Amino acid sequence: MNNAPVQPDNETVGKLKTDQMFINLGPQHPSTHGVLRVGLTVEGEIIVKAVPDIGYLHRGTEKLAEVRGYHHCVVLTDRWDYVSAMPNNLVFCLAAEKLMGVKAPPRADALRVIMCEMNRVASHLLFFGTYGIDIGAYTPFLYAFREREMILDLFEMMCGARLTYNYIRLGGVMVDATPEWLAKLREFVAYFKPKLDEYDNLLTYNPIFMARTEDVGLISAEDAISWGLSGPNLRGSGVNYDARRADPYCGYENYEFDVPLGKTGSCWDRFFCRAQEMRQSIRIIEQALAKLPEGPFMATGVAKIPKPAPGESYAHVEASRGDLGIHLVSDGGISPFRMHVRAPSFINLAMLQEKLVGMKVSDVIALLGSIDIVLGEVDR
Amino acid sequence: MTQDELFASIQAKFPKIEKAAVPVKDYLTVRLATKDMLLPFATWLKQTGFDYLEMVSAVDFLGPVDMKGYIRQMNFNTFLPDGATPQIESAATPNYPYRPVIDLVWSFVSLKDKARVIVRLETPRDASSAPTLSGLFKAADWQEREIFDLFGVTYEGHPNLTKILTPDFLQGHPLRKDYAHVKDRYDE
Repeated sequence: MNNAPVQPDNETVGKLKTDQMFINLGPQHPSTHGVLRVGLTVEGEIIVKAVPDIGYLHRGTEKLAEVRGYHHCVVLTDRWDYVSAMPNNLVFCLAAEKLMGVKAPPRADALRVIMCEMNRVASHLLFFGTYGIDIGAYTPFLYAFREREMILDLFEMMCGARLTYNYIRLGGVMVDATPEWLAKLREFVAYFKPKLDEYDNLLTYNPIFMARTEDVGLISAEDAISWGLSGPNLRGSGVNYDARRADPYCGYENYEFDVPLGKTGSCWDRFFCRAQEMRQSIRIIEQALAKLPEGPFMATGVAKIPKPAPGESYAHVEASRGDLGIHLVSDGGISPFRMHVRAPSFINLAMLQEKLVGMKVSDVIALLGSIDIVLGEVDR
Repeated sequence: MTQDELFASIQAKFPKIEKAAVPVKDYLTVRLATKDMLLPFATWLKQTGFDYLEMVSAVDFLGPVDMKGYIRQMNFNTFLPDGATPQIESAATPNYPYRPVIDLVWSFVSLKDKARVIVRLETPRDASSAPTLSGLFKAADWQEREIFDLFGVTYEGHPNLTKILTPDFLQGHPLRKDYAHVKDRYDE
């Protein structure tokens, strides 16, 4: 009995005979939007294994925050999602304000909403342009960047920076909006609204683009929830969850807006959600401009060196890429005892290892691009 | 569902779970007595509608952070006169209960009810471990790897508990309060 020959397992033998190849995607590939490396094992055109490799941009901001004052930490937050840094500023300020017991005045809240929504538009425009390039449509990129530049100019007028703003501060905002700036913003809103239809004609409903993305990278609602996806990736699968609605902050409950939802969770649905969100953001900006309250833009009684009483807080906002949260622990000292970032890009990216398996090589970039990651936020 | 109602329903099912002494502000925070309770509790939460694992985190309560964990001098400023102290240095706060404990934190969200429950578990610092939730929530996969990488917490049964953010040659777990940087080939 013991000498019986080992029977070869037919399935294994068949697999070993197949010619497998290892492809190293990234870390410098332009379509990975940063320094992401994906180790792909392919059999012909089909991917059998995908191992995302991250950490190239890890700067340890959670560690750095432990020896910096609360005001200094706002600067660190800019460096996570550098494409839309306003919500990063905001979420840290909200968490710290909860600890400190400070409440921002109404005008500051309205300015925060305007800034975050402008940043969402700028971020989605970048996605709109680069996703077109990923798929092979170069022209929309130029259109998107033309308008994105205008938003960045407005940011520059307001706070002097185009990418890392440090505009939203503990207890309010850095500077008040001048009437000239508000006039410029109104001008931009009026200019931008018709452009959205132009984008839809150019790319969203372009038959070639639709054919390329509509049946690719399907993510079911259960999968999206289980993987913890958030933002347009979750809503693209038809799950109606938006932190602005579920857990309103900065007076979002007073604004009228729709939450665009996708149907099947395909790459096109995720793209569509973002394209529609730009419309909603413009709607919110218009409402905020119409009823911008007068008053101070900074709360009184914000300490120069805050020492919040020992305690813990959690704040989360609907950032451009999803549900950005901060868990902050204070021991009563001058710097946060512990800061944990719930980074949406990091969590959204995790599903890549499962979803890429079985896809064709040419669809990898279509899926990767549609998740819309920023590696600064993935690695923190 | 209000926080009290939610807590009452948790207590009815798991009488041993109590509210945390230091709550996370505005959200229901419960503390598990032992790590064996995590899996049944998480399974029950998932069935009750808390099917979205929002966050996996950890807090090291050892004490103020060790400055040896930083590569460069804090707030290095060429204009600072010799001997002047840097702006910020970690210092212990008097009367704060520092203890050799790593608190593990999970946050579960019910997308339907828009409710959130934050679960905490105290583990000893030298043998910090908990059962993995990656079988229930796929979102736990990378987030547990992150906490393993930065804190050295072992999640038992995790299919691929390897480093994720820090480079392979980095020794130690950087977010532990007593982490000290070991010089590697990229220093100097």
